[in-house]
Amino acid sequence: MFCASRNFCCHGIRTFQLRTDLLSRSIKHSASATMAFRHKNTSRIEGLDSNVWVEFTKVAADPSIVNLGQGLPDISPPSYVKEELAKVAAVDKLNQYTRGFGHPSLVKALSQVYERVCGRKIDPLTDILVTVGAYGSLFSTIQALIEEGDEVIIIEPFYDCYEPMVKMAGAKPVFIPLRCVTIILNTPHNPIGKVFTREELQVIADLCIKHDTLCISDEVYEWLVYKGNKHIKIATLPGMWERTVTIGSAGKTYSVTGWKLGWSIGPENLIKHLQVVHQNTLYTCPTPLQEALAQAFLIDYKRMDDPECYFYSLSRELESKRDRMAQLLKEAGLTPVIPDGGYFMIVDVSTLNVDLSDIDEKQPYDYKFVKWMIRSKKLSAIPLSAFCGPETKKQFEKYIRFCFIKKDSTLDAAEVILKNWNKQTA
Amino acid sequence: MLRRVGPTLSHFLLERKNSTGYSLCSREAKMSRPVQAQRLEGLDKNIWVEFVKLAATYSKVNLGQGFPDFPAPEFLTEAFVGALSGKNHMLHQYTRAFGHPPLVKVLAQFFGKLLGRDLDPMTNVMVTVGAYQALFCCFQAFVDEGDEVIIIEPFFDCYEPMVKMAGGTPVFVSLRPKAPKDGKLMSSADWQLDPAELASKFSERTKAIVLNSPNNPLGKVFSRGELELIAELCVKHDVLCFSDEVYEWLVYDGKEHIRIASLQGMWDRTVMIGSAGKTFSATGWKVGWTVGPDRLMQHVRTVHQNSVYHCATVAQEAVSQGFQRELSLFGKPDSYFVQLPKMLQQKRDQLVQSLDAVGMKPIIPEGTYFLVADISKFKSDVPDDPKSDEPYDYRFAKWMVKNKGLAAIPLSAFYSEAHKNNYNNYLRFCFAKEDATLKAASDILQKWKQEKISS
Repeated sequence: MFCASRNFCCHGIRTFQLRTDLLSRSIKHSASATMAFRHKNTSRIEGLDSNVWVEFTKVAADPSIVNLGQGLPDISPPSYVKEELAKVAAVDKLNQYTRGFGHPSLVKALSQVYERVCGRKIDPLTDILVTVGAYGSLFSTIQALIEEGDEVIIIEPFYDCYEPMVKMAGAKPVFIPLRCVTIILNTPHNPIGKVFTREELQVIADLCIKHDTLCISDEVYEWLVYKGNKHIKIATLPGMWERTVTIGSAGKTYSVTGWKLGWSIGPENLIKHLQVVHQNTLYTCPTPLQEALAQAFLIDYKRMDDPECYFYSLSRELESKRDRMAQLLKEAGLTPVIPDGGYFMIVDVSTLNVDLSDIDEKQPYDYKFVKWMIRSKKLSAIPLSAFCGPETKKQFEKYIRFCFIKKDSTLDAAEVILKNWNKQTA
Repeated sequence: MLRRVGPTLSHFLLERKNSTGYSLCSREAKMSRPVQAQRLEGLDKNIWVEFVKLAATYSKVNLGQGFPDFPAPEFLTEAFVGALSGKNHMLHQYTRAFGHPPLVKVLAQFFGKLLGRDLDPMTNVMVTVGAYQALFCCFQAFVDEGDEVIIIEPFFDCYEPMVKMAGGTPVFVSLRPKAPKDGKLMSSADWQLDPAELASKFSERTKAIVLNSPNNPLGKVFSRGELELIAELCVKHDVLCFSDEVYEWLVYDGKEHIRIASLQGMWDRTVMIGSAGKTFSATGWKVGWTVGPDRLMQHVRTVHQNSVYHCATVAQEAVSQGFQRELSLFGKPDSYFVQLPKMLQQKRDQLVQSLDAVGMKPIIPEGTYFLVADISKFKSDVPDDPKSDEPYDYRFAKWMVKNKGLAAIPLSAFYSEAHKNNYNNYLRFCFAKEDATLKAASDILQKWKQEKISS
């Protein structure tokens, strides 16, 4: 989704001014505190302490709540994936440090799978970095390639970490390019579920090439595309390989978010800088998990021509869950936005006309709505304004996001709540 | 509005560009600037990348990088497998970002006991991807552009680049060896700070001091008196202390590891760092932690949530079970924290003997699983080369692994650029190795000595 009103130009400048105000206020505050001065946090993390997940995962942690909020599967990962991990624990060597930039068998497996997908040679040692989740890849890429004062285009709504990570690097997430620019692309998109078409990617590519900018392509949901859609890697478009870092995730590929393994793939002259960040931040990722992941990849690599390959079977399984979720929401009188990919679905809840004006908290409507829904309906979701920049929060505050990578019994429980929505007193 | 995905990006961007009159970064500006960010300047070299590759290529016996070649304890690997075989497949999914609840709870209990303090698992403890990431979070949270950070030399090499990446200025102060009594081998205790010199390093710009005890690479275990000296200076100058205690259980000869956070005035200004990899001989699991007052931990959490966010779940579950076991066996002979140092002390003594027997002079470490040895007697094998820009011990270590198949790390890797040539006759050896590995090392050394005698 692109926030493309004419006013945005002015919103962008106002946003810039707002940040300066906040900054000068915090400097005045810190100068007046004397004894506590040395214990003050650095300016790079000023204002970055709040986080929608910290807030909402706590609220939804109650097991009596049907949790369609945070994006984590409650379906089981494939059994061979779990088995591979159990096997590796018995191998002594695999409990010690491995190669810092990525366990050899894993980077080899990744290069094989992605060579096939991208149709080009990928060197496992120089073109790949294994990171702690795609989150770690985003952090390494931004720290490696974004300079203080740079501007980064972020398409709204956006996965919420892009903004604080860009800020932590001393750069500005805005829509007006004043300095050197990079673009963060997320396809399939979280939270909307959009799968960028070849034409749309070509437009972005043309601009990147014309202005010699970098592209950070977050493709964690790359396998989760539904009928009629195709995931296209922007790095495969002409002129894009040399300026793109493509990010993937084991958590989303294999339904193992708790393994926290991800990867960055790109040309050596970009990846080498990510490797420098990596060697100065956490040095290496856990070995047993990387080995198990490598084995799982080899199993699926061998059957990439077979519809039973997990990359395809998962998306088929999720498509029927998507359709069921859409149906449930429609029956409750809501109009969901049917996603073309990913495992999230957003819906406008304003038609429910829930009056929350008596709740005093200074939060957007959707934050208040979700908290109220968790308390009174025992159903959780995530407010969409968590994925918006400060100026666009108002536009999206009637939307909430549901996650549907959930087992049937969870969706059954959600169905009961939605069916009974109007029957219950507020 | 959202049903159809809005106007295309090009229309949007062109509109913005046209309406503002600004252009994207000019080609000239782009071409003259490197693609990587300035914060990476000078950080690309890393001793491990180079020496790990050399060891992998040439070494028959690897006493270089610090990891055990003996297995992790069975109770730990069983906990890992057990966690996987249970009905709860949610262990494969995200856990709490600041630390898996069972793990932070047992860490709070354990360290609360050791510090004599009530610790809140939610606010006083945070789990990280190894102690390495804990260090990173501390530097990023507290070291701003222009801040000074005191680092005691020799130091674990990552401290310096991490301070620089945060825009800080590392200020070095050296441990200096006192000559041992005649005939005796030096101990790591003989390497000491000069109190006046240490005091002179504290300035108005000093934000923090990094303490590593037991110290890698020397194996020094700071005494109470030494820690009190550091603590007094921290309190006087209102400086933070990042206390890297990853080798806290590896102390020998009945020595005591003292936690600086337990000293007067220190809890409020210290972040204590620990490691499951070193504690449980499972370096590849990459589970570490930070412990400290909420007032400091809140900022460490902010960095964590904006860089890595979660740590892998199943390893945390297994480590929490390991700690439960240790909590119930605390101080008893069966405790791994009693058995591990006992086992490693024997290996230390074995390696000390092997090195001493051939004329390399080991400095007997009070802790950690490293020792440093003076290789001066073997210098004739690697002549000085005034043209070389590498410190002597780097060249020696490279020659040794290529020609003798024995891998070790040059001590100057643990010194700042300015001081790399101060102590360049020393190598660091890791003795967390099977007896067979240590025997093989001894054989290589003996053969080498014989060759020198007969040549």
